[in-house]
Amino acid sequence: MQITVKLSGAFRVGRFKEQVRTYPSGSSIQQVVDSLQLPEQILGIVLINGVHADFTDLLHDGDTLTILPIVDGG
Amino acid sequence: MKFHTTDPAAEPSAVFYKRCTLDLQSGKMTLADLPCRNLEDVLGGFGRSFQDLAQRRITAAYCDENPLIVNTGLLTGSTAMTGMRTYFSGYSPLKGSKAGLPAAIWSTGSGKFGAKFKWTGLDELVFENRSATPVYVVIRQSDSGPQVELKAAEQLLGLSTHEKIMALQKEYPNAHFAAIGPAGENWRTNYMGAVALSTENQLKSGDDKCRFAGRGGMGSLMGYKNVLALVAQADDRLRPVSTAVKQVNIKVVKGGGSGRLQPISRGGGGGTWAAYDVLQAFHAVPVNNFRPQGNALPEKLFRENVEKDYHLQSQACYRCGITCHNYVYEKNADGSAGEFLAKFDYEPLNLLGTNLGIHDAGQAARLIQLSDNYGMDAISLGVTLSYALSYNQRNPQGKILGGVAFGDYDKIRQLIIQAGKGHLPEIGKGSLRLSHQLGETDYAYHVKGLEIAAYQPETNPGYAWAIAGGHMSMATYGLLTREGKSDLDSWVQGITESKLQIVGFDMIGLCKFFDIVNGIGTQMVEECLKSEFELNLSAEAIRAAVHRAFLRGLALELRQGYTRAEYVLPDEVFADPNPNIKLPNIATREFFAELEERVWAVFEPQLTGLLPE
Repeated sequence: MQITVKLSGAFRVGRFKEQVRTYPSGSSIQQVVDSLQLPEQILGIVLINGVHADFTDLLHDGDTLTILPIVDGG
Repeated sequence: MKFHTTDPAAEPSAVFYKRCTLDLQSGKMTLADLPCRNLEDVLGGFGRSFQDLAQRRITAAYCDENPLIVNTGLLTGSTAMTGMRTYFSGYSPLKGSKAGLPAAIWSTGSGKFGAKFKWTGLDELVFENRSATPVYVVIRQSDSGPQVELKAAEQLLGLSTHEKIMALQKEYPNAHFAAIGPAGENWRTNYMGAVALSTENQLKSGDDKCRFAGRGGMGSLMGYKNVLALVAQADDRLRPVSTAVKQVNIKVVKGGGSGRLQPISRGGGGGTWAAYDVLQAFHAVPVNNFRPQGNALPEKLFRENVEKDYHLQSQACYRCGITCHNYVYEKNADGSAGEFLAKFDYEPLNLLGTNLGIHDAGQAARLIQLSDNYGMDAISLGVTLSYALSYNQRNPQGKILGGVAFGDYDKIRQLIIQAGKGHLPEIGKGSLRLSHQLGETDYAYHVKGLEIAAYQPETNPGYAWAIAGGHMSMATYGLLTREGKSDLDSWVQGITESKLQIVGFDMIGLCKFFDIVNGIGTQMVEECLKSEFELNLSAEAIRAAVHRAFLRGLALELRQGYTRAEYVLPDEVFADPNPNIKLPNIATREFFAELEERVWAVFEPQLTGLLPE
């Protein structure tokens, strides 16, 4: 299935900003995250088609997955 | 502090703290070892100072009865990482109720002053009355205990925060400093004065890398008292780090709480600046006075864009492994660091950058530098300026302040300078007063008279119950964006229980990045207290003390005349919903009305018996 993956902030370093990628049907967000080897300590927010989701949620063909670092201000 | 118990929750009065009360009018000093009244006193910071403020009925911030309380927390100056905090408390010239009474406030910062202060042997310094002439105060360790001395300070008048610190450094080796800037000196017309705290980086490099206790105008109160600076001179008294604290410190550096703030090169997000990238995904980065436009403008101040033209450097506070500071320098032709410009944290960068229509990193940096040098709170300054710019945009026929507009760097720069010099009370007295004066209050982005932080209020109804600054005394600012919570139950629980725990850091002497997710009621803090002082204190007892301290702050607000109608968000949020923010819309009057009812239903029965009769 085709998933549009959008990365933000530090996740873009050495990777990409937005890319259409192919994953096996039934893949979860966690599997996408693992495939991209994102730094775990700043994994924070994941959105499917702009809506907050959990790492265990399954993706569907044509979904847009946005992966954001966790946010804290000061 | 002296401990004659290992169980301070059960026997707080067996713990003593050393206070110096200094009457600035007479010069009289009184040193005393005082027993703690409760665990909040033991933990320190605002947990103690607010109990003392509650004993006074203050009707105007600038009066001799309003004290300025400088204190530390239990773990300030300890081997626990981030234990660097100093607290400044008093009744605020800036934050006040519509009844006209000033609110109690505290403000805090890191830097090494707090640790040095603690190492002099003093835990608290209370300034009473005011000095007839400008003074600075030297606190020294001695064989017979801490000594406090008043010194004439005419030579420091008019100097910037940084210049005052560097001038004093020449005279006082082995010391650290707290100083106000020209804004605090001009307290009559500038209510948002901050206190600058010196850092090791600053003293070694000569660059103006202070930290700031900014919120609520404690620098202006210090200016009213005619105290221009504090000097804490003592040998470093760090004990060897125990195995237990070492383990905790490793968790702090690598744990989920602070890992996100580490430099990108260490797998972190790159300090608080990273909030730009995250919030922009929701079009929730404040633009032009908190009106995000749904476009890419905020991306101009993304790190990836700024580093093309500027040299960036990650640095840390003294002995801190988190390394969350992002210093911005001009970039030399060979890529090396040129002139130091400013430290990019999310709040000042946004509120003196994008939210003023300034999208050039160099210009934003210069404005931050000016705010720091004049010694103003970047949040209050930025939000009051953005209100004025918005007023001009809405009133083309009746513009104020020379017609300054969003993005007009040169004019904005001049306004900051004039406000810093005390020549512009319209800005210096904050957005509440300016908006009332102009008769347009809906888009003045303050809550209870204190300007909000750089999180859209549409995403944070919890602002209404923050007691000392929107994001640092109520950690609900990520509840919608980070956690995706848009249901009432989560918001009620957050405001009345879990997210208020953030104020614990403003008691115990640690920075919030020690463990911003979990607060101080944790095993990590238990272990530090056991190792440092042989105290047996449970996480539950700590959490209960933090909860009481928060409630006391709320009770004190109500005693100072706040009505429930003042626990609201800026009206524009409801009256003109922003369609560009891509998050569930919880900023409706209906949601907020139900939230109010349920939050007060929880808080109200808890508020009795917390203040003196």
